[in-house]
Amino acid sequence: MAKKRLRNNLRLMRFLKNEMTQAELGERIGVTRQTIAAIEAGKYSPTLETAFRIAEVFEHPLEEIFQWDIEVQSKTN
Amino acid sequence: MPIKERFAQVWLVTMLVTYLVYFTAVVTVGEVTPLTQIGMFAATVVAQVIVIGTASAVMAIRHKDGPKSDERDQLIDQRATRIAYQLLLCAMIVVGCLMPFNNSGWKIFHAAVFSIALAEIVRHGLIVSMYRRGWDG
Repeated sequence: MAKKRLRNNLRLMRFLKNEMTQAELGERIGVTRQTIAAIEAGKYSPTLETAFRIAEVFEHPLEEIFQWDIEVQSKTN
Repeated sequence: MPIKERFAQVWLVTMLVTYLVYFTAVVTVGEVTPLTQIGMFAATVVAQVIVIGTASAVMAIRHKDGPKSDERDQLIDQRATRIAYQLLLCAMIVVGCLMPFNNSGWKIFHAAVFSIALAEIVRHGLIVSMYRRGWDG
């Protein structure tokens, strides 16, 4: 089974949104700055609701911000 | 560093230090009167309450206007609590169902206290670990 991982380009999106800070983004979607940092670093996968809120802030479709990538082929049939 | 992570670190260190001292004393001192046993345990609990109470008050004042806990904090706490609960459940089965057949009195008491302390140490250790190393759901 392929092991997949959620990737994101939150850093780029923040840059394109006038260098929005992690704290600002966190405040707008109702999470802490540390949670935004963890999402950016790939250490935490946000809930669907938070992911949609992030997409709403950046006015981009969800799939442009988050990608469901195949990382490792751990087991083949 | 999230306030929850800092708080978990304080809990972890306090539990480790106080119960290490407590169980070292229990093992080295050997047989003592029930009053001394209760006194040792009470001293351990009072030390915990003072350290954790002071740390909580300081953190609450410092982070008065800071952000409250969010979904990540809650999910980390839930996951750590679930694992610690399973550990506590297994330990309590041993303490409550098996130990009374071969042991009695203070041995059962110490085993119960050890189980609770271990579960709490595991819980807070997991919280710290999940904040540090990350957790992708």
